[in-house]
Amino acid sequence: MTSREAADPAQSAAAESATGFFSRMAARLHASRDQWITLAVLLTIWQVLSWTLGVYWVGSPLGVAQKLVAGVISGDLLSHAGITLAEAIIGFVAGGVPAILLPFILRRSPFVTAVLDPFMAGGYGMPKLALAPLFVLWFGIGIESKIVLIAFTVFFIVYFATLGGIRALDPKLVNMAQICGARESDIARQVIFPGAVPHIFAGLRLAMPYAIGAAVVAELISANQGLGYLVQFHSMNFDTTSVFVALTAVCLIVFVANWIVNALEKRLLKWRPPADKMLQPGT
Amino acid sequence: MSAPLLEVSGLGKRFAARSREAAPWIIRDLCFSVADGEFLTIVGPSGSGKTTLLNMIAQIDTMSEGEVRFRGAAATAANARTLRPGLDGQIGYVMQEDNLLPWRSCLDNVLFPLEVQGKLDDGARARAADLIKIAGLSGYENHYPHELSGGMRKRASLIRTLVYDPPVILMDEPFGALDAQTRAVLQEDLLRLWSLGRKTIIFVTHDIHEAIALGDRTLVLSRGPARVAGEHVINLPRPRDVQGLLADPVFAGLYTRIRSEVK
Repeated sequence: MTSREAADPAQSAAAESATGFFSRMAARLHASRDQWITLAVLLTIWQVLSWTLGVYWVGSPLGVAQKLVAGVISGDLLSHAGITLAEAIIGFVAGGVPAILLPFILRRSPFVTAVLDPFMAGGYGMPKLALAPLFVLWFGIGIESKIVLIAFTVFFIVYFATLGGIRALDPKLVNMAQICGARESDIARQVIFPGAVPHIFAGLRLAMPYAIGAAVVAELISANQGLGYLVQFHSMNFDTTSVFVALTAVCLIVFVANWIVNALEKRLLKWRPPADKMLQPGT
Repeated sequence: MSAPLLEVSGLGKRFAARSREAAPWIIRDLCFSVADGEFLTIVGPSGSGKTTLLNMIAQIDTMSEGEVRFRGAAATAANARTLRPGLDGQIGYVMQEDNLLPWRSCLDNVLFPLEVQGKLDDGARARAADLIKIAGLSGYENHYPHELSGGMRKRASLIRTLVYDPPVILMDEPFGALDAQTRAVLQEDLLRLWSLGRKTIIFVTHDIHEAIALGDRTLVLSRGPARVAGEHVINLPRPRDVQGLLADPVFAGLYTRIRSEVK
């Protein structure tokens, strides 16, 4: 740096913030570098398996990538993925929204909550995927049966997470709010709901892959569209590479959905101390 | 002296029995009163039911017997459903923990009572801004509680009560969890804030020094069941230098007498 540049404070400040930006980027790259290396190792193992066992048993990553791109360009893969995604999203909302609201309604009546508890626990524990054939029987092979299955799966996970969040809330915060003059509706909206949000998010995060998993499994059992149907269809035709394409698409959807949940959580829960701070001793 | 602002008479509390035997009384036959504008301190050994007493006055806990009169209107042994916590904003309560809502900024926590009471106008906002300045929280309005120090959180919880101006403020060892230095600073701050408005305060502590340094009058509670074991008018001039009192002979005399009563 020349002396003339250093004499200009604005410019040196700009230079400093630029280096700050680059060092932050470098830190992020450093963090994600190991993830890229892990991905490369996994892809290498996959490729080696495909070479040693043959593409009849294990589709090669390159072949999968080619078919994936071709499927996207033709729109065929996208339309099947769209069906699965639509089922997952509608089912997620249909199961998740009542699961969040119900504990708030039941909060006023501990008796009803206690009566319902064993039934809810039973519903939670039941392997919902075993219900898929029944739902297909009742609601047909279209997306309706998948939505019902997903809603069922999501509901119990989110219900217990929300209930746990309400129960984990410090009752002193409620007392404080009452003394400040808060009415019951203020307490529900301003104290209990925000306090339960971290738990609700934990439930949604847990339920999200289950929703997509339930969509795929239900399609495997009986469907004429969707990624699960593609897996079923191509495995019947011994087209292993295409089965891998469908599975890769499922992984990509889960990956993107997880990223969205993370971003939402970061935004809504910015009041929480950062997780790395909580892991430090002495806090 | 005019009629007391708040009067506790024959107050008793025991929690529900867990076994066949009746539960012991935590508090029994407790009587005292507080005048308007008085700073009453109550000192007692830990576990003597001080918090329970304040919870009953604030009506977040039920009484087993007796009554609490506020401005002549009596609250008697009631079930939890008919409690009126805080008597519609007339009784403020600074609890042992700061109880700030972690998802609200410092300023939004201070504004919380005004918001739920529907009193959030420009005048109220200006008052909150003043209090934040007096409490030394300027520049931290938008910080979340976890970003504030223990002393700052305590100040925020204190002004959250002052901001809606309740006629009576209950304080339950509000500075108990702080280090000695921060506590001394906050005691001075509290006296300064109190001298501005002369609210009626009932301040509970197990620290005899604190009880004398802050109060106009000190009650000593006996251990289980809690009754009034002693009453002392604190004839120390105000404004007081909380730390400088240690050298005062009047303070030393009171300290010795109260100490002999706290068992």
